[in-house]
Amino acid sequence: MQRNLFPSLVFSAMVISSVPLLAAELPSVEKRFADASVSETPDFQRHVVPLMGRLGCNGRSCHGSFQGRGGFQLSLFGYDFRADHAALTEGDEPRVSVKEPMDSMILNKPTDEFEHEGGKRFERDSWQYHVFRRWVEAGAKYDAESAQALVALEVTPAEIQFHKDQEQVALQAVAVWDDGTREDVTPLCRFQSNDDAVVAVDETGLVTSGEKGDSHVVVFYDNAVVPVPIMRPVSDQIDQAYPDVATSTKVDELIVAKLRKMGIVPSDLCTDAEFLRRMSLDLTGTLPSASEIEAFLADSAQDKRAQKVDELLESPAYAAWWATRFCDYTGNNSDALNNVTPVREMAGQAWYDWIYDRIARNVPYDEIVAGIVLSESREGDESYREYCEAMSDICRADEQRPFAERETMPYYWARRTIRQPEDRAIAFAYTFMGIRIECAQCHKHPFDQWSKNDFEQFTGFFSRITLGNNGLGNDAKAQYQEMVAELGIEGKRGGELRKSFSQLIEKGKTVPFPEVAVTGAKATYNKKDKKQGKEAPARKTARLLDGQVIDVASVDDPRKPLMDWLRSGDNPYLARAIVNRIWANYFNVGIVQPTDDLSLAHPPSNAPLLDYLAREFVAHGYDLKWLHREIIASDAYQRSWRPNETNMHDEKNFSRAIPRRLPAEVAYDVLRQALVNDEQAAVARDDLKGRAIAIATAGARNNSRGPQYALTVFGRSIRESNCDCDRTNDASLLQTVYIQNDSDTLMLLDDRDSWVAQVSKELGLSKSAKQKTPPRPKNYDTVIENLEKQVQRHHRRGDDAAERKAKVALKAYRERFQDSSDEAGEETAAEWNVDALIERAYLRTLSRRPTTDELAASADFLRESEDRVEGLKGLLWALVNTKEFIVNH
Amino acid sequence: MAIHQTCDGIRRRDFLRMGAIGGTSLTLANYLKFAQAGQVAQGGAQAAIFINLPGGPTHLDTFDMKPDAPAEYRGLFKPMKTNVPGVEFCEHMPKLAKCADKFAILRGVSHTLAAHRLGQEYVNTGSRPLASLEYPGYGAVVTKEKQAAPDLPPFVAIPNTNQRPGFLGVQYAALNTGQTPRPGQPFRVRGISLEGGVTIEEVERRANLLDDLDHTFNDYEQHNQLLEGLDRFGQQAQTIITSRSARDAFDVSQESPEFAKPFGETPFGQSCLLASRLVASGVRFVTVSLGGWDTHQNNFSKLQENLLPTFDEGFSALLNGLEQKGLLASTAIFVTGEFGRTPKINNRSEPGGRDHYPRCMFMLMAGGRVRGGQVIGESDDKATGPAHDGISPDDVAASFYHNLGIDPTTEYHSTTGRPITLVRNGKVIKGLFG
Repeated sequence: MQRNLFPSLVFSAMVISSVPLLAAELPSVEKRFADASVSETPDFQRHVVPLMGRLGCNGRSCHGSFQGRGGFQLSLFGYDFRADHAALTEGDEPRVSVKEPMDSMILNKPTDEFEHEGGKRFERDSWQYHVFRRWVEAGAKYDAESAQALVALEVTPAEIQFHKDQEQVALQAVAVWDDGTREDVTPLCRFQSNDDAVVAVDETGLVTSGEKGDSHVVVFYDNAVVPVPIMRPVSDQIDQAYPDVATSTKVDELIVAKLRKMGIVPSDLCTDAEFLRRMSLDLTGTLPSASEIEAFLADSAQDKRAQKVDELLESPAYAAWWATRFCDYTGNNSDALNNVTPVREMAGQAWYDWIYDRIARNVPYDEIVAGIVLSESREGDESYREYCEAMSDICRADEQRPFAERETMPYYWARRTIRQPEDRAIAFAYTFMGIRIECAQCHKHPFDQWSKNDFEQFTGFFSRITLGNNGLGNDAKAQYQEMVAELGIEGKRGGELRKSFSQLIEKGKTVPFPEVAVTGAKATYNKKDKKQGKEAPARKTARLLDGQVIDVASVDDPRKPLMDWLRSGDNPYLARAIVNRIWANYFNVGIVQPTDDLSLAHPPSNAPLLDYLAREFVAHGYDLKWLHREIIASDAYQRSWRPNETNMHDEKNFSRAIPRRLPAEVAYDVLRQALVNDEQAAVARDDLKGRAIAIATAGARNNSRGPQYALTVFGRSIRESNCDCDRTNDASLLQTVYIQNDSDTLMLLDDRDSWVAQVSKELGLSKSAKQKTPPRPKNYDTVIENLEKQVQRHHRRGDDAAERKAKVALKAYRERFQDSSDEAGEETAAEWNVDALIERAYLRTLSRRPTTDELAASADFLRESEDRVEGLKGLLWALVNTKEFIVNH
Repeated sequence: MAIHQTCDGIRRRDFLRMGAIGGTSLTLANYLKFAQAGQVAQGGAQAAIFINLPGGPTHLDTFDMKPDAPAEYRGLFKPMKTNVPGVEFCEHMPKLAKCADKFAILRGVSHTLAAHRLGQEYVNTGSRPLASLEYPGYGAVVTKEKQAAPDLPPFVAIPNTNQRPGFLGVQYAALNTGQTPRPGQPFRVRGISLEGGVTIEEVERRANLLDDLDHTFNDYEQHNQLLEGLDRFGQQAQTIITSRSARDAFDVSQESPEFAKPFGETPFGQSCLLASRLVASGVRFVTVSLGGWDTHQNNFSKLQENLLPTFDEGFSALLNGLEQKGLLASTAIFVTGEFGRTPKINNRSEPGGRDHYPRCMFMLMAGGRVRGGQVIGESDDKATGPAHDGISPDDVAASFYHNLGIDPTTEYHSTTGRPITLVRNGKVIKGLFG
């Protein structure tokens, strides 16, 4: 059994002088095999396979390709030693000839003596040649049993700081094996630059400086992946010449330490108004209201920023916005949950509600994760019938978020898109570990230590999770049939059955629900099952990445050891993944970017910073609110977007605020908030009705209806491909068209709940001519109420067509008599306070007071408007169409 | 993009002032005259249609058949003769067989990226993806290089695209229609025309106020691609909304039934119809998409029952339709998926599927100066790789740009001023052009 330590702790670059010399270090193969008289036998794992990697033999375009090349296939990027050994020594055309070593293709092809499509890879009598020759001569052996595990790859120097063009530094890599042997493996490593513009590296590990900036060179050997930070300062202001920059928090200390090396001077702190808007949008997806801004600006307390954060952390909008983000990471997609509950959309809503509740109560993050990872539909000793009763009750419940009471949230595993253990392993790694292991499904991960074997062993944790449409287990079978008999729904199928379920639930009946459970280890698996897409057979064992083998067949729930491992304090994934994602929400980019790719070859831009936050997050009991506070309290977060000469191009070292387009749900919500009346705008953070951040699921269907259209245009997460890139924050022409001219926006500008209508009423302005509406009939309210009830009824029954029809009727009726009760008298000549109005408009949109120029231009516009209502609309329209409105800055 | 920011020769504020002076009488000719200060790509095709086949279509069962290969390679379909002697392809594309003279087949195109996302990025940019720098998709480059009518979106994706603007900046991104037209029904993109009785005068007055107020990021804007992009979108949206052109361009129901009929009723056919109409209206770049080619299982039934008839109908109607409108010679067309599929049929399920295979694939080119009715390149006897040197996606990219009159060695600059060659490694395929 292999037993590695955590690779992330071990495979780090180290300064060699600080490492005690445990054993004499072997010189490199380049030296040892330079002479033809060498008698040493190279090792298949340590020397032969890495050398093939170094020479490019097992690359994508050569023998590593699927279906191989020239009749010879190696595992892509190596590390499938058994398969590679077989490919070399077995088959019709073995690449080695132990009997006649000198006839071996492994010697004659790469020297181009036999025709080789890949050309000449090395010279005859070179050290590479002797490595392969000696291995063949000694019998071309590979002994899996005696194979050693790589304990560490020590790369020196640990970090490189360049100062001018074309500077060069040679890297050296020493492998440390299980048995204590140390060997210089520099000539067997592969090297890669993460940014060719900043740093180049050749195949021998010689690093050459490029343009100013910072990146990494990554060193690969065996399953080790070691990044080496490379920096070239952007200005002369480094080290001693660096200005005095205050570091009020640990976060700032770590950020400025890097900035000091890079010669980047951070921007000044932002204003109070900027802070309030930025933080309110980032933390709660909501604009501060006008009165709130004024109160905040007038507040003279030293710690008012921190106080405000505390206040906002208690708001429903905080829980709603972060429930939305957690639904992104966990993949709450309505298409994937089709028919997972008898009532449409219930699963996705339950998913959202369950998370919302825990975020609101600040349940520790590891507990939230455990509630998802270890979920089963039934809790305690619930029978199948009792479970169905509980769920039927939840469907009928009047209170908000009834599902949140359940201990666990099983819909994560119920998704129809992840039925196979492999798909579950990939989804799990994406959601909770922030890594993409799908590469390792077919070959050694090119950017991480995951091998194909690691992946296969990892899937063992997921093979016993089962979704049973009609319950699972013998008791369920009987109770299901009982229920069906009682309900009189035998013979009904598909849509008809679901429709009757919805109706029966409404009538107070208990209907059968699908359930998720962990089934026994002896699941059978045959061809018929495979055709029907049923789960693959359960594995007997599973292995965690650190080498620990778990006998999953003998445990009740294989997910338990997995969860224990995940939440053990030194786990390199759980805390880092969420810390990085939350950080990215505040800084435009993560400390690791992209945020779902925490592989070893994509190192953090500031490793000590990520280490610190992850460590403290765990030390604080996975306290999410602590994390938000810690990030927001930093000067780094509170810096201005206004750049200086040194940080103009800095996008990843957190030296200034980066203007970012608002996320889809937030853009949708704040557009409304900016246009509705003061009363509604003031409660936006507490009243989630109509908020996009309160929409539970995403999916590909129905994307042109209601808010879905705007949310799609603004790139909300589609939550379908295990990628944080399912959400996009790019700007587009259609987004601008939406804010300028979509009927949604234009209607909001002056409907009866609008600020324009409110102000018109305050000032006694009549509505503009075309907005005139007939007087409301006496039974107006009753009609509206009845229509609303109809909509709800059809919705509950899942009758799409009827629901749509009722909604259209409701909308048409409302519009016909819109606002007529508020009809004001004739236009008065009363003097209106133009400046005060403009200030109110600015506060509700851009969250600040207008400058003198802006005031003047706006005032001119209002005075020149023939129709004052049109003038107000024009002003508000212009403000929501500024760049300042749609970006957070 | 500081260095290239004035390449368009026109800035938003200048344009809005023109708009204010000229009202709606601002014509394309005036605009182009005004825009001549910029470097506008001259000559070549004036527009392009990119047909994406995501999933990776099998080459062996479509345009690179091997009837003499062993059964586990050649598959179930037979080749058929076309209207070009010597050019043969799959029997399930009879309509294309009648217009094989209108397009060129590239065989033995080869690369090494077997994952969908990376492969898509490669064939949509013509540059092998790098971790450190995102290359722009073709549509973004054409948007930048070709002056478009101001009252139309220059780059339209039906319904969306993998072609991102990359380092060029978000201002060159596509307008996604989000949906595809339905046969005979009016089609529109929400918000692109004035409705609800709002007058052009009101809109322009508001726009002028916006122009006066939107100054917060003034000095910084040129250093930030997001802000620059928002600025450009503001200008474009304004112009598009106040003109009828965009609304008319999208409304496929205005095509005559005779013209529309050959396109059929599939979303793909309707997308091709819309693409032809958009190009005719002056849109510079249109992407169309037909997915479902990831045939790991049931390769043959999926192709025969659905994919091939759909592609056959839509693509042949597009070629014929463009010719009928006299637009084929001025429209560069490029059809590709992200890779080919394994030559050897897998036996995971009957009657078999094919897996990802980037080493050998096909692409199609048509329009502009492309000489149709020819086959360029060749794969080996089992279509497991190119028979000779092979064609790289970069070569095809260089040729596509060349067809559009855009020099593939054009040099751009990243935000940090780093020089970047448009197509790093590609050479124009000379034989492709007449």
